[in-house]
Amino acid sequence: MDPANTPLGRMLVEEITPVVMVLCTPLVEESCLKNSLSFVEMLSPFCSFNNIDVPVRTASDQPYRLQKFKLRLFYASDIRQPNLEVAKERLKQVITQAGEKDDLCSDPPHFSNLLASSESGIQPSWFEYFNKELVRTMSFSDHESFDHPVACLLVVSSKDEQPINRFVDLFNTNKLPSLLNDGAMDPKILKHYLLVHDNQDSTQEKAAKILTEMRSTFGSNECQLLCINSSPHGLVERPENPWAPYKCDPSPSQCLGCFLNIDDFNKIKDLMQDLSSKHIIPYMEQKIRVLNQQVSATRKGLRNQIKNLWWRKGKEDVADSPDGPMYTFSSIESQIRVLGDYAFMLRDYELALSNYRLISTDYKLDKAWKRYAGVQEMIGLAFFMLDQSRKEAEYCMENAFSTYLKIGPSGQQNATRCGLWWVEMLKTRDQYTDAASVYFRICGEEPLHSAVMLEQASYCYLLSKPPMLRKFGFHLVLSGDRYKKCDQIKHAIRTYRSAVSVFEGITWGHINDHVHFHIGQWYGILGMYDLAVKHMLEVLACSHQSKITQEFFLRDFLQIVQKTGKTFEVLKLQLPKVNISSLKVVFDDHRTYASPAAATVGESLWHSLEEDMIPSLSTAKTNWLDLQSKLIPKKYRESNVCVAGEAVKVDIEFKNPLQIPISISSVSLICELSVRSDEMESALASGANSFLIVGADASSKTAELQNDDDFINLTTNRDMSSENSSFTSSEVDFSLGGGETTVVQLTVTPKVEGILQIVGVRWKLSDSVIGLHNFDSNHMKKKNTKGKRKAKPAPRDNLKFIVIKGLPKLEGFIHSLPEKAYAGDIRHLVLELRNQSEFTVQNLKMKISDPRFLNIGDQENLKTEFPSCLEKKKASEQSGVHGSSNNLSQTVFLFPKDTSIQGKTPLLWPLWLRAAVPGYISLYITVYYEMGDISSIIKYRTLRMHYDLQVLPSLDISFQISPCPSRLQEFLVRMDVVNSTSSESFQVHQLSSVGHQWEISLLQHVDTIFPSQSLMAGQALSCFFMLKSCRKSLTSQDEISTLSPLLGSDVRLGPEGSNEPLFDICSSPLADFHHCERLHLGMSHQGDPNTVDFILITRPVKDNIIPGVSNPPHLFSHHACYCSTSSTSPISWQVDGPHTLYHDFSASFYEINLRMIIYNSADAVASVRINTFDSTNSSGHLSEGTTTVSTDPSGDQAGWRDASVVNDIKVTSDVGGSRAGKSLSVESVPPFIWSGTSSTRIQLEPMSTSEIPLQICVFSPGIYDLSNYVLHWKVVSSNDPGNQEGASRSSGTCQGYPYYLSVLQSS
Amino acid sequence: MGREVSESCVDSLLTEMVSSYCDRFYANKPELAARRIEAIGFQVGHQLSERYTMERPRFSDHLEAIKFICKDFWSELFKKQIDNLKTNHRGTFVLQDNRFRWLARMSVDPSSEGGDLSQDNSAGAPENKAAQATSMHLYFPCGIIRGALSNLGIPCAVSADISNLPACSFVVRIKA
Amino acid sequence: MPEKMIVCVAVVGHQNNPLYIQSFTEADDALKLHHIVHCSLDVVDERVNNPKKSGSPLNETFLGLLYPTENYKVYGYLTNTKVKFIVVTTDLDVRDADVRNFFRRFHAAYVDAVSNPFHVPGKKITSRTFAERVSTIVKSFGLSSAG
Repeated sequence: MDPANTPLGRMLVEEITPVVMVLCTPLVEESCLKNSLSFVEMLSPFCSFNNIDVPVRTASDQPYRLQKFKLRLFYASDIRQPNLEVAKERLKQVITQAGEKDDLCSDPPHFSNLLASSESGIQPSWFEYFNKELVRTMSFSDHESFDHPVACLLVVSSKDEQPINRFVDLFNTNKLPSLLNDGAMDPKILKHYLLVHDNQDSTQEKAAKILTEMRSTFGSNECQLLCINSSPHGLVERPENPWAPYKCDPSPSQCLGCFLNIDDFNKIKDLMQDLSSKHIIPYMEQKIRVLNQQVSATRKGLRNQIKNLWWRKGKEDVADSPDGPMYTFSSIESQIRVLGDYAFMLRDYELALSNYRLISTDYKLDKAWKRYAGVQEMIGLAFFMLDQSRKEAEYCMENAFSTYLKIGPSGQQNATRCGLWWVEMLKTRDQYTDAASVYFRICGEEPLHSAVMLEQASYCYLLSKPPMLRKFGFHLVLSGDRYKKCDQIKHAIRTYRSAVSVFEGITWGHINDHVHFHIGQWYGILGMYDLAVKHMLEVLACSHQSKITQEFFLRDFLQIVQKTGKTFEVLKLQLPKVNISSLKVVFDDHRTYASPAAATVGESLWHSLEEDMIPSLSTAKTNWLDLQSKLIPKKYRESNVCVAGEAVKVDIEFKNPLQIPISISSVSLICELSVRSDEMESALASGANSFLIVGADASSKTAELQNDDDFINLTTNRDMSSENSSFTSSEVDFSLGGGETTVVQLTVTPKVEGILQIVGVRWKLSDSVIGLHNFDSNHMKKKNTKGKRKAKPAPRDNLKFIVIKGLPKLEGFIHSLPEKAYAGDIRHLVLELRNQSEFTVQNLKMKISDPRFLNIGDQENLKTEFPSCLEKKKASEQSGVHGSSNNLSQTVFLFPKDTSIQGKTPLLWPLWLRAAVPGYISLYITVYYEMGDISSIIKYRTLRMHYDLQVLPSLDISFQISPCPSRLQEFLVRMDVVNSTSSESFQVHQLSSVGHQWEISLLQHVDTIFPSQSLMAGQALSCFFMLKSCRKSLTSQDEISTLSPLLGSDVRLGPEGSNEPLFDICSSPLADFHHCERLHLGMSHQGDPNTVDFILITRPVKDNIIPGVSNPPHLFSHHACYCSTSSTSPISWQVDGPHTLYHDFSASFYEINLRMIIYNSADAVASVRINTFDSTNSSGHLSEGTTTVSTDPSGDQAGWRDASVVNDIKVTSDVGGSRAGKSLSVESVPPFIWSGTSSTRIQLEPMSTSEIPLQICVFSPGIYDLSNYVLHWKVVSSNDPGNQEGASRSSGTCQGYPYYLSVLQSS
Repeated sequence: MGREVSESCVDSLLTEMVSSYCDRFYANKPELAARRIEAIGFQVGHQLSERYTMERPRFSDHLEAIKFICKDFWSELFKKQIDNLKTNHRGTFVLQDNRFRWLARMSVDPSSEGGDLSQDNSAGAPENKAAQATSMHLYFPCGIIRGALSNLGIPCAVSADISNLPACSFVVRIKA
Repeated sequence: MPEKMIVCVAVVGHQNNPLYIQSFTEADDALKLHHIVHCSLDVVDERVNNPKKSGSPLNETFLGLLYPTENYKVYGYLTNTKVKFIVVTTDLDVRDADVRNFFRRFHAAYVDAVSNPFHVPGKKITSRTFAERVSTIVKSFGLSSAG
């Protein structure tokens, strides 16, 4: 592109133009000032020409036409180097004004938008102006001549007396600027004489006269007359005032040039046109020519060069002052420079360039560094304007720049200017990064300038391809700091804010925090606290910062907030963090909760518990919804229902991200309760999300809350006050240590019917800032759909409630329920139900999750004290408290019809607790009740109670039962009790066998094996009992009796003759719990007669109170159910007959009759075959028999056999015993034979016995073991799964029991 | 890298890992097991690539990276280079190792091989069992390759092909 | 004094997220160093995207002097896995050899750190051993040249 149209090109064309020095008399100024313009100001609009179209010839006679041209007019007094301080002040003003202009409230554009826009759009517009001003501050230096006046305009007013002399006086030397005096430039310059006539003073004759006089003195064409103020009344209006841009101080611009009418206007224009085209340009052209000839004469050509070199070498000893030797205007160097500059100003850049080059070497040799730099600068610019050899251009600029810097402070300014030009040069060639670095080099120690330069540099980085955003940001921050240093806070804020967009969202927390924090601080300084707070908020949750920083941030933040005076309400305040996912809402519709613990229980569990109690959900829904359905659409079913006067609880979790403690106060819910009205229906009809716009004032607020995510001063307290009547919400205070997390429960209690909306939560951070966090609707939405999936009409997490009018609500409480108990512990508890409201509730039902643990007693045993109520009474009133079958099973417990709770009188009801099994047990109780008055929307409610119980293991009991061979229907019971507690010791009290067909009896008194009745911790006890089945045969009523164990037989395990009363296992709690145990074990054993249940009742040893388990007396009952009595085979038999006989063998052998009673315990027909062996291999059989017996799985039989032997020996005499031992050991048994059939087969009905006669013949006295027979049995059809052993072994073989018969010789 | 470990240990570790993932953790979900094993391989490859690319100039293009895998990376892992590298110049590379050491001690009846096994491990035919077991062992190296490449900035999908044992070829498909 | 020489080292992930940044100055100029490191990423990008413009040899991990700030020198290193190491030194006559050597050792430390199975790729490096190792490397920096 044409260099002249580049920014730099335009700048040069503007700035490097001929200067016209103006000298004028006070009267001239005076008449000009009528227009509130100085003379120069009056002319200046007409000094720049866009198409002046003047033909020019270069030094080498090439014609070209000059189009754009400009003159710079200065008063002679202004033609000097400006004072640095003044210049600085001026620049500062510029910056400050710029700062005032830009508004700090609107957000700066995001850098991505900046990238989209053009360069001019990116940068603040005032940079250009600033740069221009900066350049201006360096004008009129003597080392370069393009600022030196080309012409001098002498102006005299027609009112002056002796104007001719005035002209002469004007140009006497003492008034002239130093440049002309000290010989830096040629004092004899082109002069132009102007006579200014004010038409208001007088007519023009006088002026014309003077003019002719002038012409005669100064020559005709150097003199001109200018008439101004031609309009008598100062009311010349112009659409756009040409002078306005030239007035630096903004004065009312309409009066500018108000006396100058149109032909004045034109006159001035013509004057300037004429001046520049007819005089100045030709003069310069002329001068260029002359100088060029001189230069080429003295310097061009080899000879001159060498001569020049020699000459310079000659004056080597020049003092090395920074700007080298002094060059007078007459010196050839100055002339070359002037030539170059004139050529440059007339756009003859080749000529300029050649001369600059020529001179630069000279200056270099002369070490005239400043001049050298200046020339280098011009070379660069000339190259640029010629748009050739860019590298060299840049090199020159750099060279100039560094040279300026080299000569120290005086060069600094020039360096800056040079730098600016250089930067422009680089910019036009899109070398933005280089430009940026140049900017960086420009900024010296003077902070304000460097701030501006850095900012410009940052924009260069942004413009560079690809944009270097990080550097952009960094330099913005740097310049921001500089701005701050010199109190240009607004600029600082601007820069920082434009940097924000770069750093946001990146993981460089330190930088981000720094930026935001300082913006906040500075806004604070400016008193724009809202914005300050806004930015401070960004850094509040700086968990990555050090503790000190966090404190610092927080403190400053709070200070600023306090400065504001008002209390801010900040949406989504970061301190503390609200864990929205932890949000949990608990409220009572038709489901009420006795304790928060109960509310946490999963709905499904309650559901399963309640389903057969409440009148089936579907009907339940309709029977209160069809009331509604008139005024409420179906959507209503998705919305929650809560009851006026009952609190809605919201659990929400707060987390402190910082390491420092923060104090949170007055945490409460933001709610709106729009009182029920017609528009509610419409709102309802319009669905869940539009629900937020319910209620007049609330709607607007929530709308704001929804869409506007930066803070707003909403006044919740307002609608608090307005709605105070309609609901109350709780307030919580707490303080969070570093990194702590806490869950807070907040409640809101609606008072009137309507629609309650929980919008969010508000809290106060250290008493200064109010934080708001609204539970946003989409979160709710999600939950809402989830809710829809569930059948029930109330999704938990939807925060919109339909408040219905107050209902009676039961409060339930179980007295003295321990949280710890030992297994088997039986307690007597009382359930208390209260109803605060005056309406009655009725038709109560109750259900308990696990009747093994909790059982419902009868009203009357409220009074009865425990455990004595369980003690056995006389048989007469024993029938009093029998397990009432209604509360046995899992079914719902119905309170008596007439029970209705009202007012203050609570309903008390007894409960039995039995810690059935060790472990952590959760008990769920739900009470169903119906409203007294039919009008209420909700017909029924349920009260849900939940308790946790820890059950510790106490006693492990196990029973082993084995049939006793010698007697039918008798069993040996071995009870093993282990005290598995750590510290407790128990006193075994009684063992009861359940069911009337069993009788249990002590085999051996307890004292003998167990002198101290208390079982210490870890101690084990095993003792034996005799269990007798007193059942004749299988009858139907036995079956029933097993179902309801009314009777039982007990054994006191207490010390001998202790009169402690036995407990009646048939009384309600024990019986019920026993039944539950049976149920728990399952129906499988049901009706299997071969099983027996035991209940072991123990009590804690009196003297030690069990810790954690409160008030004695205690009772422990341990239930063992379905202990199977059936041994390995269903067949049991007994050989019956005499044990000792006397016979005279001399007479004959002896026939002995015996009988065998066989019992079939299987409930199927069994066929049994008895085989007897002859005596030959009997001994073998004996041994074999014994072995088989001893290896019998139930090892106790062995023990039993021994015991019986002992008995036998007791029965027989010692002698016989000794002999018996001998006979057994020494010689084989004397032979006896089985007489009668060797094999008998019989059929046995189930549960029946039969007798088989046996006969043996004995031939000699002795002791005989009649065990050498075998029973083969087969159960014909065992279809009963109950008796495993019997079923599994449908047939088998049994060795005979030893039966010792001693036959003695009868004397 | 002073620390070294015996190859047999590595081999048995690999087999153990595979077996425990296939038979214990995700016994009945082979896809899941495969994914887990592959993920482990990915991490290993990710870290190894970090280590083995030290002291070497950055790769200018994908081919260089692949070559690195074939040469240095492979020889670091298996003390041998990939024997044959093929590419279609459209982002698919086939790295063939004629004697892949992790399969060297694995006896698989080559007849019963159905092609790209580590891709479809769904085939339940009994004669395919061995092949499946093998393919399970190949998810780990696949993961290693994928991890290494993705750490080098080349997202890709890697699969193995054991149609002709003991040669094993890994197919790398670079995600465009 | 060698430990004065390096004022800051940083590991920056391939998404230009800081994985590890540690300054070794008494003064509290962490922020400035953050800025310097952050800016240097621009230069790294520039170097990598058009290496011919910047004089650095093609694709070498060592990127050389990224840019000199007023009183720092910033050197860069880009691993094959697009992880950047930045080191900021104070003394202005650092020998490239030293820096290369430093980076080599630093890279080794980094590799060991990320090879820790408990390290999540792309997350900040919190291993203490790594920090210790880095500080020793930093302390020993330039000793070879100094002594």
